[in-house]
Amino acid sequence: MPSGGITFHGVCKTFSGRGKTIEALRDMSLSCPSGSFTAIIGPSGCGKSTAMRIALGLEDADKGAVLIEDREPQDATRAGLTGVAFQDAALLPWRSVRQNVEVPLEVLRKNIRDFAPDVQHLIELVGLKGYENALPGELSGGMRQRVAIARALVTRPRVLFMDEPFGALDQILRRQMNLELQRIWQESQATAFLVTHGIDEAVFLADRIAVMSANPGRLSVVIDVPFERPRKPELFSDPAFHALCDKVAEVLHGGQ
Amino acid sequence: MAGNKQWAAPLRNVVALLLVWEVVGRLDLIADGALPGVSEILIGLWNDRSDYPLHVWETLKASGLGFVIGNLLGVVAGIFFVLIPVSLRVFRGLNIAIFALPPIAIAPILSLTLSGLTPRVVLAALGCYFVTMTATVIGLSQSDSRAADLIRVYGGSNWLIMRMVQFRSALPSILSGLRVAAPNAVLGAILAEFGGGGRWGLGAYLLGSLGRAEPERLWGIGVVATLIAGLAYGVFALMSHRFVGASRAVTMNMSVPEKAGDEQSRPLSSILAGAMAVLLPFLFWWAFIRLLDVPAMISKTPIGVVEYLFFSPAAQSAQERLIAALWETLPITGIGLLCGLTFAFLLAISSRLFPGFLRAFMPVALVTQTMPLVALTPLLVLLLGRGTSLTLWVTISVTFFPAFVILAQGISMVPRATRELAMAYGASAGQELRIITIPASMPYLFAATRLTVPRALLGVMIAEWLATGKGLGNLLNQSRGYMDYGMIWTVAALSVILAVVFYQLVVVVERRVLQRMGMSTAE
Amino acid sequence: MDMKLSRRRFLGAAAAGAAASAMPFGSFRAMAASPFAMQASWINDAEFAGYFLGLDKGYYADEGLDMSYASGGPDVIPESTIITGRADLTLTTPDTTIKAISEQGAPFKIIGTQYQKNPIGIVSLKSNPINKPEDLVGKTLAVPPVNVISVEAMLKLNGIDKADVNIVPYAYDPTPLIKGEIDASLDFTTNVPFTISQQGAEATSFLLYDFGFTIFNDTVVVTEETLKTKRKELVGWLRASRRGWEENFVDPTVWPPKWADSWFKGTGRTIENEIYFNKAQQPLVESPNGIFSMAEDDIEACLTALGQIGINGSRDMFDTTLLEEI
Repeated sequence: MPSGGITFHGVCKTFSGRGKTIEALRDMSLSCPSGSFTAIIGPSGCGKSTAMRIALGLEDADKGAVLIEDREPQDATRAGLTGVAFQDAALLPWRSVRQNVEVPLEVLRKNIRDFAPDVQHLIELVGLKGYENALPGELSGGMRQRVAIARALVTRPRVLFMDEPFGALDQILRRQMNLELQRIWQESQATAFLVTHGIDEAVFLADRIAVMSANPGRLSVVIDVPFERPRKPELFSDPAFHALCDKVAEVLHGGQ
Repeated sequence: MAGNKQWAAPLRNVVALLLVWEVVGRLDLIADGALPGVSEILIGLWNDRSDYPLHVWETLKASGLGFVIGNLLGVVAGIFFVLIPVSLRVFRGLNIAIFALPPIAIAPILSLTLSGLTPRVVLAALGCYFVTMTATVIGLSQSDSRAADLIRVYGGSNWLIMRMVQFRSALPSILSGLRVAAPNAVLGAILAEFGGGGRWGLGAYLLGSLGRAEPERLWGIGVVATLIAGLAYGVFALMSHRFVGASRAVTMNMSVPEKAGDEQSRPLSSILAGAMAVLLPFLFWWAFIRLLDVPAMISKTPIGVVEYLFFSPAAQSAQERLIAALWETLPITGIGLLCGLTFAFLLAISSRLFPGFLRAFMPVALVTQTMPLVALTPLLVLLLGRGTSLTLWVTISVTFFPAFVILAQGISMVPRATRELAMAYGASAGQELRIITIPASMPYLFAATRLTVPRALLGVMIAEWLATGKGLGNLLNQSRGYMDYGMIWTVAALSVILAVVFYQLVVVVERRVLQRMGMSTAE
Repeated sequence: MDMKLSRRRFLGAAAAGAAASAMPFGSFRAMAASPFAMQASWINDAEFAGYFLGLDKGYYADEGLDMSYASGGPDVIPESTIITGRADLTLTTPDTTIKAISEQGAPFKIIGTQYQKNPIGIVSLKSNPINKPEDLVGKTLAVPPVNVISVEAMLKLNGIDKADVNIVPYAYDPTPLIKGEIDASLDFTTNVPFTISQQGAEATSFLLYDFGFTIFNDTVVVTEETLKTKRKELVGWLRASRRGWEENFVDPTVWPPKWADSWFKGTGRTIENEIYFNKAQQPLVESPNGIFSMAEDDIEACLTALGQIGINGSRDMFDTTLLEEI
């Protein structure tokens, strides 16, 4: 049944190192409807990054399958359906902001000139107007992260993957980026998949939170987030928001 | 202003050093005048100025061509090895063998089998290949794995990752490889010129000048060789300095590259790759001779050497001479290796404790690397005699530099935060070294040992050849005179095999120790 | 077979071409002259004066030879160049040639000799003189590893135990001798004494030849194949070279200065040194039967001396018939 978005079907993955085997993912099934925002949260080693790497075709599942917009991960990535932002900006230090944003276009062999207005628009969208020709080394951590977001959106992806994109930022900057991300995501109408450590970040951004637990890595529960969009900064101090955060925390700790 | 200050101290040291040298040289204080004063060398250079251009040009031509070819091969091979990882294991034996080739054993073989400029170019290229290949492999494989992932998630191929990410981020490493390769190319060309019977080139000039008993001339040639090598070194150092700024990942890559253990899980292919690694050097040796079509009397294939050593009428005498020579060469090689490493280690540590010292010492160190040893022999012999101390000195001077470079790099890569942690608890510089820096640089100590092993053997052979008249170096030289081609090839092959075996021994010990210490090897 | 030959010829031609282009003084007189390559045994010095003169004056061209000349060096094994076909003819020492023929069946023939008497000798300082083999007992002697066997033969011929002499390698630089680190060295007696005098000391020397080690040096060697196929050229080479040498010895001081900017340019050696060398070598090269000649007695003496060091040659390794055709 074609549904779009992202679907995990009984995905299993083990890694074998020197004499040890680690069960990174056991039988994970999850579906993220088209246009939804899903956050994955869990302790380290729960397989959340592995799940994302499998969905991106960077790793192969031992068992089960992932479909992106009803296609195999590698087909989807090659077709330019996905965008990705890693834990760290992972910018190429010798390329300017604009050239970094253009990297996915280059890989997908698009004519960069045709996308010049898009690139400029994205750079403005993430608030980096005037920094188009700056090198990553000249930017602050938050600015670099915003370049990475712009880069993730440049292909107009149907599905946007983010692996702790704001993990390295301080709390204040992080909240600011959360707001911006919400705005950008709504504008793009993409299916979003966010791997995070931050409970408040997950609750603020996501429609649904998938909580995972470790040893073996598995999905333990999916929690719906009912707040209306667009969500305002005031939500961070709303009692309902805190109640939901506490609930997520409870599941997280209970799961251990 | 700060820049000026930074240069003032080393400059002062260099000037002081030159002054001492001048006084000592002018007063004939060292070895009864075998060490000339600086001004005497300069005056000599001025007097000989009409001789130099053609010689320098010839050396530049050969070393430049060798430099280009050797490095091109090194970079291309490095890229190939990274793109197809199994090939690195298959070619491992050949790579180590190329690195371990003792130039003094190879030079006569090259003069024997090739002609014209070719032996010079080949020897220069051989000096570059391994350094640059290794630097390329390291640079490429240490590039930001997250950036590579980024290219991959958009469906980019390995080749595209190579083009967009790895090659550019490996540039500083490659450039620093070229920097080390530059003096090697010059020395290689000079060595081939020295023996090869050409008319021009600094090596040929050196040979003609040796008989004059004029140290000024020999030092003059050494200074010119050093200038060429130093200039090349400087150009690439500058280039890599410019590139480093824009290539270092802005943030630390904390993600550990996950290398699945499938190397061990497929024993058959692993054995196959190992067997290929052992076979390939012999295959190349055999192909070299076949392709050049050199008469069998002169060129010995691997089978020819075995035949010579075990089945020919001369086999017994050859074995006896070989064993006697080995017995003389091997023990001193071990001692020389230890001395060279110790010296390099002390130097690296002290360069950390006294950074100014390093900057003043570098020019001197570079001179010891580019001054042809044959030009220094009379001085060394007069100072040290012809015994063990001379052999050790030569071995140290041949080994310490690369070891020092690696160790200094290792020590400088100990994270600042870790060091400051110790300092924060009031550790003295010595304590900090003992607790943090020395253990942390263990992988580099092993890497240095690996690279030093073949050079130690080379150093001992050079000393034997030039001064002591014993061992493998002397045997090689004597066989050359007697057209004992079997022995020439045997000594050359044996010295490579020995170097490779020692290298592998170090690798085994290294894996054990580092595994126990929970560290990974430094390339 | 064909391919092999042509490739070998190609290599030879390439080497000859490289050598010729390195020598701006090659002959350009005879356009149809047959190419002929000679390999010398050392770098350019007075040791090869006769050939330089012959090249400059076109004596080789007169014989129909388009001659290319390659200098030697420590890693150049002269015999190797004629086996590989890089040279048609080479100058070398009789011990290596005869050893190669007798032990490895190398197809060489000795067709003449430049030095009737090997110029190699024991050089020492007058202040610490070594005038005869007996004086070496208890002394340190530097010998190029190549020549150790020759020295050992000389010692044996004079009843001296080689264990009584401390033999160390000689690395081409006489400084250790001048400074007294060694007592004597083995070198060309035509050459080193000059250097020593330049350094303010005085040298004394004796030839190994005069103490029983009676061998030639710079013997002219070719392969049997060349002897068969290029006999005319070889005779021509001998004739032209003899002319060159004879003219050179009319006054050995005349020619070296003329080559200051050609053959001797940038060799690192001085013209005075070459003049000294040229004078000193004259009695060792000249022969009543003509330069390059090999008298039966001398061949006999050479073979006997080599027999002392276990190199067993025979008369048929020498071919004196070309000399007769000059």
